[in-house]
Amino acid sequence: MALAPLDEEITLEQLNADPYPIYRRLRAQSPVLRVASAGRTFLTKAALTKEVKDNPELFSSDDPNTPMKPAFRAHTLMRKDGEEHLRERKAMMPALTPKKIQSDWGPLYEKLAAEYVSRLPRGETVDLFTELCGPLAARILAHVLGIPEASDEEMQRWSQRLIDGAGNFGWKPEPFAASDEANDEMDLLFGQLCDKRRAEPDGSAYSVMLNADDPIPMSQIYANIKIAIGGGINEPRDALATIVYGLLTNPDQLAEVRAQQAWGKAFEEGVRWVAPIQASSRLVTEDTQLGGFDIPKGDTVMTIQASANRDEDLFENGEEFFVFRDKNPHQAFGNGPHHCAGAHIARRTVGKIILPMLFDRFPQMRLPDPGAVIWRGFGFRGPINLPVVLN
Amino acid sequence: MVKVTYVAHDGTQTTVEAEDGDSVMHAAVSNDVDGIVGECGGSMMCATCHCYVDEAWQDRVGPRSDGEEDMLEGAACEVNDRSRLSCQIKLGADLDGLVVHLPEEQF
Repeated sequence: MALAPLDEEITLEQLNADPYPIYRRLRAQSPVLRVASAGRTFLTKAALTKEVKDNPELFSSDDPNTPMKPAFRAHTLMRKDGEEHLRERKAMMPALTPKKIQSDWGPLYEKLAAEYVSRLPRGETVDLFTELCGPLAARILAHVLGIPEASDEEMQRWSQRLIDGAGNFGWKPEPFAASDEANDEMDLLFGQLCDKRRAEPDGSAYSVMLNADDPIPMSQIYANIKIAIGGGINEPRDALATIVYGLLTNPDQLAEVRAQQAWGKAFEEGVRWVAPIQASSRLVTEDTQLGGFDIPKGDTVMTIQASANRDEDLFENGEEFFVFRDKNPHQAFGNGPHHCAGAHIARRTVGKIILPMLFDRFPQMRLPDPGAVIWRGFGFRGPINLPVVLN
Repeated sequence: MVKVTYVAHDGTQTTVEAEDGDSVMHAAVSNDVDGIVGECGGSMMCATCHCYVDEAWQDRVGPRSDGEEDMLEGAACEVNDRSRLSCQIKLGADLDGLVVHLPEEQF
């Protein structure tokens, strides 16, 4: 077999601005494509992205040279495989299960959401992205993790700096200087809270990890919290903004969602339509084949779940936001051992609590100019503003 | 081929023919059986393939696997002594005709 074709025309700028027309073309013409600008082999069909994520031995998350290492000052579970990954993940899981989220955290989420939604001014144009989506995602996460002492602003700033550092593939000094500063602040706060979280178990991720029978090393406890900060704000924030946009630009669907109270379906469709995490990388550990092409050991493949989620083989009119699909087998949360640990929290908070509350409080909410909404991102994607009139 | 019957929370029964060696979760997902999600693909990472093994089959299905207990604890619906993560039940001739019951919700 031959190597996959090489593309030297697609630019990161194009992908950042709007990758969807490109993915649509690739699904039809070159579902396995080496993209020079990204230095990765793009996989754009759902069957291929799933195959890779379901085979962690052949397609490893382990990347010893990732910029995530300096950005997080640790080798984190996101970039580990097998037992090592499992042990660190399991240390945190008791704080993140469906049951825990429903029974223990539910009332707190309701209270936080009510607080943030009720302070929005009625009758004015408000950027929901900056006024609600970001801060509320930050607040909920701070509680889940056991660091509610951190402010919304700190949580969001730390998160962005970790992300910028983790994506610093050019290894420039500035992003690492910024992530270092964030790490200093986080380490200081975690250190201050340690004794309290140990002495007064509260079910938060930090407390659960500290009080485990056989705790993971302190350095990895910190790393786990940081991974959750870096990976737990953008996604619910962008999901919420995307779904609100989808519903406001499709009033007939919004009416039906209200009538059926189908907020959970709206959530699933939003994250399918524009997946907050669009792409992931995996290192190829043995010579193999994908989609009829040779994939050599040492290659890095990129599963483009954003594209898999619009794959014509699985979705009719996948380019469109349509809540009432018969089936919605999207891959927005990934699959395999690295399946998103925050999936249940996102479903509960965004899908079951925040969306119905927001549309209940502002039944006449409008998006006066959908064209004013700016969408950005290749690795992470969502609107970066959402000016709505609240009524 | 091995027959498996899934009984949904509302009583609807779906019987599928699964391959030998397939898991109860995978057989459900690949046959579009509602009520089993199995998001993590069988890595015991999501607790969305919870099922209750029919009493008549409990002995033959056998005990929970290593680590299953912890993840099962986090399932959305009530967990009882018949609860299993269906990704951990491998199908073979001995389980031909297996019946499992599905919880009301998985997340």
